[in-house]
Amino acid sequence: MDLTLSPEQEAIRDAIRAVLAERSPLARVRAVMAAEPGLDAEVWRAAGELGWFGLATPEAAGGAGYGLPEAALLFIELGRALAPGPWLGTVLAAPLAPRGAATEVLAGACRVAVIDDPEERLGAGASLDGEAPHVPDAGAAQALLVLGRRAVRWCAADARGVAIRPAASLDPTRRLARVGFAAAPATVLDADAARVRLEAAVLVAAEAVGVAERTLELSVEYAKVRQQFGRPIGAFQAIKHRCADMAVRTEAARALMLYAAVALRDGEPDAAPAVHGAKMLAGRAALANATDNIQNHGGMGYTWEADAHLYLKRAHLLEHTFGARAVHLDALAAPWRAA
Amino acid sequence: MEIRFTPAEEAFRAEARAWIEANKPRTPRPEDLRARRAYDCAWQRTMYDAGWAGIAWPKAYGGRGATLMEQLIWFEEYARADAPDLSTLFVGLNHAGPTLMACGTEAQKAYHLPRILRGEVVWCQGFSEPNAGSDLAALQTRAVIDGDHLVVTGQKIWTSFGHVAEFQELLVRTDPEAPKHKGITWVICEMDRPGIEIRPIKTLAGNSDFCEVFYDGVRIPLANVVGRLNDGWRVAMATLSFERGTAFVPEQVRLARRVEALAELARTVPGPRGTGRAIDDDEIARRLATFRAEVAAMRAMTYRSLSLAARTGVPGPEASLIRLFFSELVQRIDALAMEILGAAGLAGEPSAGEWPERYLTGLSQTIGGGTKEIQRNIIGERLLGLPR
Repeated sequence: MDLTLSPEQEAIRDAIRAVLAERSPLARVRAVMAAEPGLDAEVWRAAGELGWFGLATPEAAGGAGYGLPEAALLFIELGRALAPGPWLGTVLAAPLAPRGAATEVLAGACRVAVIDDPEERLGAGASLDGEAPHVPDAGAAQALLVLGRRAVRWCAADARGVAIRPAASLDPTRRLARVGFAAAPATVLDADAARVRLEAAVLVAAEAVGVAERTLELSVEYAKVRQQFGRPIGAFQAIKHRCADMAVRTEAARALMLYAAVALRDGEPDAAPAVHGAKMLAGRAALANATDNIQNHGGMGYTWEADAHLYLKRAHLLEHTFGARAVHLDALAAPWRAA
Repeated sequence: MEIRFTPAEEAFRAEARAWIEANKPRTPRPEDLRARRAYDCAWQRTMYDAGWAGIAWPKAYGGRGATLMEQLIWFEEYARADAPDLSTLFVGLNHAGPTLMACGTEAQKAYHLPRILRGEVVWCQGFSEPNAGSDLAALQTRAVIDGDHLVVTGQKIWTSFGHVAEFQELLVRTDPEAPKHKGITWVICEMDRPGIEIRPIKTLAGNSDFCEVFYDGVRIPLANVVGRLNDGWRVAMATLSFERGTAFVPEQVRLARRVEALAELARTVPGPRGTGRAIDDDEIARRLATFRAEVAAMRAMTYRSLSLAARTGVPGPEASLIRLFFSELVQRIDALAMEILGAAGLAGEPSAGEWPERYLTGLSQTIGGGTKEIQRNIIGERLLGLPR
């Protein structure tokens, strides 16, 4: 048993962090979010060249041959950097995409948005019908991955019968779209939607852990330098203890998320409850830390100019991606509530 | 990253599980303190005779010398089998013993360590004073040197099991002129020395597990000093890392079991309006589910902390995160139990079981061994580097 990162995993994390720090600093993210299509094509291309989309794809399928834990490391970094773009759908699709499209997905030439449809409102067969009202990043995607109850389906974004209309988004770094289907042709993929949904929840949890980590760091850095009453505000217990609570939340969420990623990879019997718990705790940690980070920054935290609000808005978006708190809690409580 | 244990570790788990299951006490721990002490000592002796005592103690001192992973496995199995916690022997095994190993003389180690390990003696702690709680280094109990003795006068408080202990790890001020951390000495105090008076304190839960201890010219040989004179603060801090390792694993595993037990209770008692089952209430179900996730997170945090320690050799400061998380989680769980029980819990009806008493004793979780405020200071200052 070893829940620490191996030297190789640390190297993966460090390399990703360095690339994002250089190519996608928050100033760049702000420029990207104000222009079409809401993502940085150069960063996206670089990610394809560096093999990020295929981190968890088997080598035989053209990927790097790592697993879900390594993909989770990528998503922690994406959360820390608030990187825009349909990362989740693209990474999930990389090992699943139909023959022909897979190479493009791995290279970053085909961006994929993922639609969570556990109730199968969009049907379940070879054609898609209905509407998905709040799909992250669909406007910047070339393909759509639809997770039903059991079936995983693939549909080109420009296929007939597909209408993607931009919708407003509280999170300026991640756009939402309304995706309508009218007898749109779908390819049913050889995959289990329930499992892909759990993997998606782990990756969203990882992104939320990144938000929680980064907002903790920003608060601590600020509390060390901001002076009031002749002292750094971090010397006051009101601030210091809040930062301590942020650290506890972050570590709890990070530890369970990593555990869940490994458990799911290895097919452990407690994988599903670990995933539900991780998504719930990580979502809560991201929201709470991002909120506390605004408070710790005082008046500056309330401005558009400061970055604090961007993390809070991303945290809200992540909370509603692949199951809000109550969804995962109800899944955890279900065995107790059975007759 | 890997959550599976090695085949050798799994073999160790099977051996530990089988032994604990076959040998654990079959009767519940008695209420009466003297009987409880005898019960604890007998169980410790059983473990000692089978080579399981002092799982975290080095072999050189008669312990099992288990690896960190084996310790983790042992404590997981121990708690899973609901074997009795160390209780009256906790201070000796997890605090005094390791302190003597780190700082004691050969004579002190040779005399005390085997007795602690065999479960022949109970140790208590003489650290806190009425005016030295969170600010422990402000302690005022005086000791002056008189020939080859220290003469101790003062008062200690919150001394768990002081009234059934033979020995005490006692912190005294030997140099009142020095800065407060510099003038303290760590000394072994025999509890039957003349001039010691022990008065049990009744807790809000109604029990008297801890005491006040008064010292009136108590003579203690200088040979009982552990470490050097005036170096007691360093000696006291030397074993903190020992406690931060695996000592709390059994409590954590028990807590996970308690969440399952509480969910089971919620399936059997009526809901908040007196109808249906408590578990059918969405708020109760979701709070329970939150606890289920939180105990899983606590286990994952412990796994991460221990695997880090296994790599570096020393438990890291992240253990204080786990300690704080644990203590507040205990209280949230106990508080929900009181809500689920409703008035039946107040009336002490059989359905209430041990929950009301646990709820009351659990209030000490965020006070003893460093208040939650002190834990937050430690996290803020040592882990995050915030200014003092």
